[in-house]
Amino acid sequence: MSNTSQDMPPAGEPVLSLRGICKQFGAVSALTDIDLDVHAGEVVALVGDNGAGKSTLVKVLAGVHQATTGTMTFRGQPVTLAGPNDALALGIATVFQDLALCENLDVVANIFLGKEMQPYALDEVSMEIRAWTLLNELSARIPSVRVPIASLSGGQRQTVAIARSLLLEPKLIMLDEPTAALGVAQTAEVLNLIERVRDRGLGVIMISHNMEDVRAVADRIVVLRLGRNNGIFYPDTSNQELVSAITGAADNAVSRRSGRRQAAQHNVTGEARA
Amino acid sequence: MSSDKVNPVAPALDRADVRVRHDAGLGGAVRGFIDRVRSGDLGSLPVVVGLAIIWTVFQSLNPVFLSSSNLVNLLFDSSTVGVISLGIVCILMVGEIDLSVGSVSGFASAIVGVLWVNAGVPVVIAILAALAVGAVFGVVYAALFNRLGMPSFVSTLAGLLAVLGMQLYILGSTGSINLPYDSALVVLGQTLVMPAFVSYALVLAAGVAIFATGYSTAARRRAAGLTPPSLAGIVARALAFTVALELVAFYLNQDRGIPWMFGLFVGLVVAMDYALKRTKWGRSMTAVGGNREAARRSGINVRGIYMSAFVLCSTLAALGGVLSAARLASASQQAGTGDVNLNAIAAAVIGGTSLFGGRGSAYSALLGIIVIQSIASGLTLLDLSSSLRYMITGAVLAIAVIVDSLARRSRVSHGRA
Repeated sequence: MSNTSQDMPPAGEPVLSLRGICKQFGAVSALTDIDLDVHAGEVVALVGDNGAGKSTLVKVLAGVHQATTGTMTFRGQPVTLAGPNDALALGIATVFQDLALCENLDVVANIFLGKEMQPYALDEVSMEIRAWTLLNELSARIPSVRVPIASLSGGQRQTVAIARSLLLEPKLIMLDEPTAALGVAQTAEVLNLIERVRDRGLGVIMISHNMEDVRAVADRIVVLRLGRNNGIFYPDTSNQELVSAITGAADNAVSRRSGRRQAAQHNVTGEARA
Repeated sequence: MSSDKVNPVAPALDRADVRVRHDAGLGGAVRGFIDRVRSGDLGSLPVVVGLAIIWTVFQSLNPVFLSSSNLVNLLFDSSTVGVISLGIVCILMVGEIDLSVGSVSGFASAIVGVLWVNAGVPVVIAILAALAVGAVFGVVYAALFNRLGMPSFVSTLAGLLAVLGMQLYILGSTGSINLPYDSALVVLGQTLVMPAFVSYALVLAAGVAIFATGYSTAARRRAAGLTPPSLAGIVARALAFTVALELVAFYLNQDRGIPWMFGLFVGLVVAMDYALKRTKWGRSMTAVGGNREAARRSGINVRGIYMSAFVLCSTLAALGGVLSAARLASASQQAGTGDVNLNAIAAAVIGGTSLFGGRGSAYSALLGIIVIQSIASGLTLLDLSSSLRYMITGAVLAIAVIVDSLARRSRVSHGRA
């Protein structure tokens, strides 16, 4: 996994392109004229402040919400998603921010929810083996796949949700805050996993507030602000530029804070010298 | 990748985590059971304890209570409301409620009476018509719930009155229709019992089936590299089940024997248990009851699941109504009124199906209705008035819901949901 940066696969065919996507909730325009392209073998990071519309966009792509206007093209074909089933059938898998797990069901049942093997005589043994295989690929630390989700920690639940998204061999994976609840090792595993998925030629959309994670895996960084596109950046962009694109001003809380800290540090070193 | 170290002796796929205690063998099974109960995963324990208390009290008050003949009567009575309660289990699984099952059952018995006795339609067609009408009520409730967002509590409460009105309307001024005593339906409801050898054979077959499924699951798990359940445990469970039920069958056969109507009820319970535990539909029901939005995002047709739950509940209520008409040999204005509704719901809850959705089992209808009917039968034997009967049944229901709520709170704090 160390030398992926040298032999990056060329950005292939666009898996997904959105043109002019709008989503209105009553009087609120959550998304306005969003354009987005994701190519095969590419990781696109979606960043923006709270309320920028990232999660809404993901839900539109997952078929949970329907776009008010705009067109969506998936692998060259114009598509409309009437419900989550359409998205799953196309090969769009989603790890939602709230994970969307059923706490009363066990890990195996959650991973296979809606896609059970042998609908009239559930094949529990095969499902359990597949669940363990998926979880081991993620180096998951799950005590037992026969315990209800309610007894798992936040990080374990996150891993289960990611394992579930991989079950159907999707073409595009969307991860809404995939590392927010994870420990150091699991975060690294998820980032590794994102790279592995990308190297298999899948498109990945990742939402994160952690600029370090974004920079580590993203090929392109798409900034949303107040429900609109606010620029496309690359991992070599400076933090300053990204933050001002996210917050919408060069003079913002983040830059003022870092300026204060630098000044304070300068003072401290100056006093120490004196 | 350095993290994929292969251990020299790789443990089974599900035994890799060293932090988990794995209970093996009979001792382990007992320890696991105690753990589960202490964390609030009570299963059918409250029923067994409750039944023991109820039977002890009534037996000490009236020695006829546990006699074979009274227990056979109890099984006849349990079957009718039990079938209705099975439908309630279905609807509670998805976290909704149907308060109109009593009225629907009464209406179904009225339909059978009017069509069969008054209009001369063949009895099979009359029964099918009653079941179809029950299914239509389910479709209406589901449509109100799915399309208009009407809470099932309100729509079925409205249905309770409306359907009762329909029952009174089609029965007309006569009020009550007697079903012919020598007909197959009434014989099934009043006297038809299994021959002794059939009851023993059925119990034995069930025991063998329990062993066979347990054994084949264990074999498949072993072949797949997962840890199998212990053979001793499987044998012990199947043996205990068979011996206990053969003794019960023997005791009941001292009198008339096991009613075929009860056999029909148990058959429906077993079928429902399979459907809820071993099919995709049952998994979806549990998921919708646990987290509706998560189920929807997994691509489950949530509206379809609600539809199936409402339709099954109403149809089983109608079937229960037909059986109770057979039991009473009449279709009357009183059928399905009074405590039928509450008994059906109470039985499901007492048996361990949660009012909060996503938790339950078909067997809770069977266990719960035996508790409810034991109370009813015991109080009848004591010749108590219905005022006392209602109060005591109400108190038992309240206790059952309290146990359910407390167990749920305990499960949450022990992380078992």
